[in-house]
Amino acid sequence: MQKEQSRVSYGGNKNGGLEKPPNFGPRNIPRSPSVPSLYAEKSFNTLNMSDQMLNRPMYEDQTKLIPGSKTRLEPDFNPSPIQRSPSTIGGNSNLSVIDMYGDDTESQMASDESDDSQPTDSNTPTNGISNNNNNNNNNSCVENNKVNMLDDKNIPKLMHRLSLSDNNKYKTTHDNDDDDEEYQTQPIPKSPRVNISSKDAENFDRYGFKKQTSYITEQEYDIWWREYYSYCNRRKNKWIQLMEKYDLSANDESIRRFPPKSEKLKRYVRKGIPAEWRGNAWWYFANGQQLLDENPSTYPQLLLKIDHINTLPDKETRYPDLEIIERDLNRTFPDNIHFQKESYQNTEPEMIKSLRRVLVAFSLYNTKIGYCQSMNFLAGLLLLFLDEEKSFWMLVLLTSKYLPGVHNVNLEGVNIDQGVLMLCVQEYLPEIWEYVVPSQKSTNNKSNLNKLMNSGFNPNHTNNKDSKNEFLFKLPPVTLCTASWFMSCFVGVLPIEVTLRIWDCLFYEGSHFLFKVSLGILKLSEGELLKGKHHNSLTHYSLNGNQNKNKPNNAEENEIELFQIVQSFPKKLLNPNDIFEKIIFKKRITFNNLDQDEIDRCRKYVTDQRQKHLPLTDNKKSSSHTNINDNLNSEGSLLSETGDTGFKALNIQKARTMKQNHKSDEQLSETQSEGYGFKRSITSVNWNSGLKERVRQIRGKKD
Amino acid sequence: MLQFKLVLLGDSSVGKSSIVNRFVKDSFDEFRESTIGAAFLSQTVTIKDSDANGNEAQEVTVKFEIWDTAGQERYKSLAPMYYRNANAALVVYDITQADSLEKARSWVQELKNKVDDDSLVIYLVGNKIDLATDDDKDKREVEENVAKTYAEENGLLFSEVSAKNGQGIQQVFRSIAEKLYDIRKKQDATNNININSSAQRGNGPVDIHLQRPSTNDSTSCCS
Repeated sequence: MQKEQSRVSYGGNKNGGLEKPPNFGPRNIPRSPSVPSLYAEKSFNTLNMSDQMLNRPMYEDQTKLIPGSKTRLEPDFNPSPIQRSPSTIGGNSNLSVIDMYGDDTESQMASDESDDSQPTDSNTPTNGISNNNNNNNNNSCVENNKVNMLDDKNIPKLMHRLSLSDNNKYKTTHDNDDDDEEYQTQPIPKSPRVNISSKDAENFDRYGFKKQTSYITEQEYDIWWREYYSYCNRRKNKWIQLMEKYDLSANDESIRRFPPKSEKLKRYVRKGIPAEWRGNAWWYFANGQQLLDENPSTYPQLLLKIDHINTLPDKETRYPDLEIIERDLNRTFPDNIHFQKESYQNTEPEMIKSLRRVLVAFSLYNTKIGYCQSMNFLAGLLLLFLDEEKSFWMLVLLTSKYLPGVHNVNLEGVNIDQGVLMLCVQEYLPEIWEYVVPSQKSTNNKSNLNKLMNSGFNPNHTNNKDSKNEFLFKLPPVTLCTASWFMSCFVGVLPIEVTLRIWDCLFYEGSHFLFKVSLGILKLSEGELLKGKHHNSLTHYSLNGNQNKNKPNNAEENEIELFQIVQSFPKKLLNPNDIFEKIIFKKRITFNNLDQDEIDRCRKYVTDQRQKHLPLTDNKKSSSHTNINDNLNSEGSLLSETGDTGFKALNIQKARTMKQNHKSDEQLSETQSEGYGFKRSITSVNWNSGLKERVRQIRGKKD
Repeated sequence: MLQFKLVLLGDSSVGKSSIVNRFVKDSFDEFRESTIGAAFLSQTVTIKDSDANGNEAQEVTVKFEIWDTAGQERYKSLAPMYYRNANAALVVYDITQADSLEKARSWVQELKNKVDDDSLVIYLVGNKIDLATDDDKDKREVEENVAKTYAEENGLLFSEVSAKNGQGIQQVFRSIAEKLYDIRKKQDATNNININSSAQRGNGPVDIHLQRPSTNDSTSCCS
């Protein structure tokens, strides 16, 4: 089945246009490599459409609409008399309003935000669009289009999908510019099909993901979402105010520029970028445009190359990645409506075609990485927010700048990042560290137990001075679970809204944020983890009085419990603010002082440690660090001037290693006997006598 | 309760996760997300054991700690972390993909080279037999005999299954549990731990501690 489906050719739409969603513009990138011009026409339509939509008398329209449809859509919500969504993403259906922002927006905002700043629907589009035209280039249109996709495409598609029994109705409702009127004159009728569609639409979130997962019920989702959407609304309003201060058109959904970096903006980003600006914001903060500007023909040329490759009879043998990519296409977000093949369709969804092109193009562009499983999820999520070409460049940035070496053939970057994470756990979460790496200190029994188990991992069973760092090259078993956190940047690990909030910060702050979040997740799960530990040590004592015999069993149970908690805990973290408010915004949590510089230093330290201890077999020779530099070199012209702090740090680091090789080696061997030394400030140190002593030692050494 | 670590290995999209999902949750999805890194699951099976005299069946609960790994070639470098200390390995191939049997062979070879433990149980599984029914034999690329012969020559357990319709799945895990239990019994006997006496004392599940096997390659873990 899978095979059959995935072998569908790269060709265009053969479906007679029935299922083609109206605003699918950017996704329709066909063979033609002239990407930008391609977008222009379609996006212009969208632009016009959103213009109309935004201008439409929404309130009456919706008050008329909602009571009927609302009870079906969100039965638990209390319809407010005025249904207005502040500059809502040009929604073309009441459904989108409800789905994106819910319906009690108005009252919420009235209480939370100042009235002056409240945007009105009438001024929204004019400002936005004129501004858009001023900075005009095709990309802005693309983005506009893309942004609309979030609901315009999403919702009609949902509805469409579920209402194919009546194709005509669908067509009239969604044919381009008319749909606005359609909605006014033809509110969602009380026909069975609508009931079905709205009922089913309820099963999916605003990005088309199924709300229900193995860990979260739909009801739980809905209850949470009711609160979270009004939070999103409040945040969006704040953003609008902020943007207006900088004379950036905030009401234009195609917004391409954001305020300069500042503490305030960082806080705003951490509280969540409005969903419909997300793609553009990521693009902006990651400085993707510069890459694109410097390489305007790269992606189109890659597309041409793909076309050429497709004509080769021996393409599978010459490009083995193609086959591996094919296998993963339908295994990327199978629960997302945009990635699903519809049963009555013969062709595959546009999204899958885009995904294929981006992944194949990348595998041709960066042959060092080629294709690595997990990139399908990275590209898939990018495609939900950005057009194909931008998604491609963002994938380039993710795999080189944010996750260096992680996707390389030897995956050494994964091991390095896991080593860094373990260093951080040891430093900042000592209680959990004791649990993931039972040490001599805890009990004698325990270390005996480790020997008994012959688990292959016991940081204390050797007495040489390297044993302190043994966990860097014999990674603790918990990294079996945490490795995927980094490979897919938490996609599939955490619920989608949490993942998106992390991506917001990742692109704004740099890759150290991934480590912060990882520590945050572990910190949040601490209670569960340590409860299990105590529970076990109390109850899993021997049944027959033979302690030695039963202890190891206890340890195994502990280990299983650890894996289970570390794996399932994040999947239940439905509310992003759990992690942000309880962890990221808490100043007293020491690991919040981690910065990009520290993580870069850590990465280098772990790289060197691992290089020293691993036998230099051929396939292990290339370390992530050299890969970082390779990436720098191969893409130097593209990346070296991106100006992002994280990347600067890499450059600085590179310069440092090149110019001061000798010195850094010296420093390294110094730190090595000591273990890695984290920067510490008085305020950041978690004061206990052991740490105090270490700090003193380190300071003494430095002086 | 006995506890064993089991690892799934095999080429990508041969159905490793689907097999585990069928075993643990008794369900099947046509499209499953590709596994990144590895997924951890656990499940118990109950097997019958006759005592030393061959009478009176005794129920033994076996808990599997299952590591389901990503199949792509490059993940091989992470694999030693997963099969370290494993008691059993399920090496999976897709009967409709001849190439996947080759990958399975190389996994078997790697296990034999890297795991210094004769008691490691390796089970070769041909998945997706639902695709090659009597009406549609063309899809089959690996003949059962070929794989079976290979398995016998290499001392592997072997069967063909379908994660989609569930055919043969439970039996795979049951066989592994039985085999591991036998091995454990023998080991414990040589270790002078009289399992039968402890089993007789309480009529409940037998409680034995497992000594985990080790890998002979000290650098293999997590490198």
